[in-house]
Amino acid sequence: MINEANFHPSTELLQKFAAGTLSGGMNVAISAHVELCELCRKQTSELEAKATIDWLQTPADDNGAEYSDMIANIISHPQLNKAEEKKSILSEMHMLDHSVSLPKVLAKAAAEGLVWKKLGGGINQAQISLDDETQCEFIYMQPGSQTPVHKHQGSEVTLVLDGSFSDELGQYGRSDFIMRTSIDVHQPRSDEGCLCFAVLDKPLTFTKGIARLLNPLNNYRFKKALSQNTNF
Amino acid sequence: MADISLAMDTIMMGTFPAKKEAQRKQARDSSVPLAANRLDPDSDESLLIAVGTKQSTDAFNELFNRFSKRVFAHGMKITRNEQLSKDLVQEAMLTVWQKAPLYDLDRGTAQSWIFTLTRNRCFDMLRKQKRQPSCVSADDIWPGEFEDVDAHGKKEHEFIEVEISLVEKYLSQLPAAQQAVVEQVYLFDRTHEEASALLEIPLGTLKSRLRLAMGKLRQLIGNEND
Repeated sequence: MINEANFHPSTELLQKFAAGTLSGGMNVAISAHVELCELCRKQTSELEAKATIDWLQTPADDNGAEYSDMIANIISHPQLNKAEEKKSILSEMHMLDHSVSLPKVLAKAAAEGLVWKKLGGGINQAQISLDDETQCEFIYMQPGSQTPVHKHQGSEVTLVLDGSFSDELGQYGRSDFIMRTSIDVHQPRSDEGCLCFAVLDKPLTFTKGIARLLNPLNNYRFKKALSQNTNF
Repeated sequence: MADISLAMDTIMMGTFPAKKEAQRKQARDSSVPLAANRLDPDSDESLLIAVGTKQSTDAFNELFNRFSKRVFAHGMKITRNEQLSKDLVQEAMLTVWQKAPLYDLDRGTAQSWIFTLTRNRCFDMLRKQKRQPSCVSADDIWPGEFEDVDAHGKKEHEFIEVEISLVEKYLSQLPAAQQAVVEQVYLFDRTHEEASALLEIPLGTLKSRLRLAMGKLRQLIGNEND
């Protein structure tokens, strides 16, 4: 069932989502939250109405183009009928002892299969490539796991899909949308286990102990994720 | 001038949601699919419905004239590329033509419908141009299916509206003095003290009237349920 989220995208972020100016990865994370959060769904449709008004009020010059051929071409296409619209996709992810139902957009993004990697400390990660500006991944934190203390070079968005985790700033459960920026240093931990979807726009920086050695590797990981993207 | 009146239409619809809701209700109750004659025949909505139900090319030409410049401007804002923006006009207006049969007044204003569709086509076009993975498309990110959940909300909303109209009916059956007390406390959310000051009656009198009024209301609602 739909839980009430305690942490939501900022109005500014939802505005950009409604106006269509964000990257693919960020759009996917917000879309998934919006599907789970009635409040943000309402706000999004209000912001879409506002974006429409802005759109209609922006001056639009006549670019002098001659469109009669285009119109003739368009009306030669058949129209859709009402029945053609619906299509459903499988939307469950199977964890060790239970399955988690995913927001539709994430189910679609993961439909080609995920490759899970163990990162140590009980953290598992499966990357998907959505665009060339962000690194997107599912993260599964096993019960009792803890990530090394880290901060971010860019921003990190985390959407909780199942279970819960906590850090110095709070406790997060299903459908919570958490944004961390380069000034936040945090160390997430999960007692009951947690499945998340995360979007990073720059790689993580670890700030403590042996984990700092991961920094160069992490940069490498990010670069690799980017180069995989460009192979598409 | 036409552009300004377009914008005004949208603003008006937003400002008077009750009117829009009434329009929608009419549309739902009607056995004729969406009688366009209840709308101004020159409105964007009427034109879009004519494209969807009668394949009217005249209506499509008019919509094209009204919106293609704006679609182009959105393309320029996002892509900063003239050719891509022209392609967007083709893509978006083609989608308007193809999907027009799926439009009805429950989906909001025609302007909003065309804007979101333009936004979506632009997103997909840009990804394709940058050769980004095609595993998710704009229609996955901004699905019409969000509306399914809204439909639940709407039903619940209607249910509450029915309840409210019942309560209004019962309220009007109370003596005027009791009505006034219930209004102050439950409708305007005033404290007992504020309400007694406003109505210029002693606090004790207010409390006893409120008790009597609520007892009477409960009785009336109880009778209805039996």
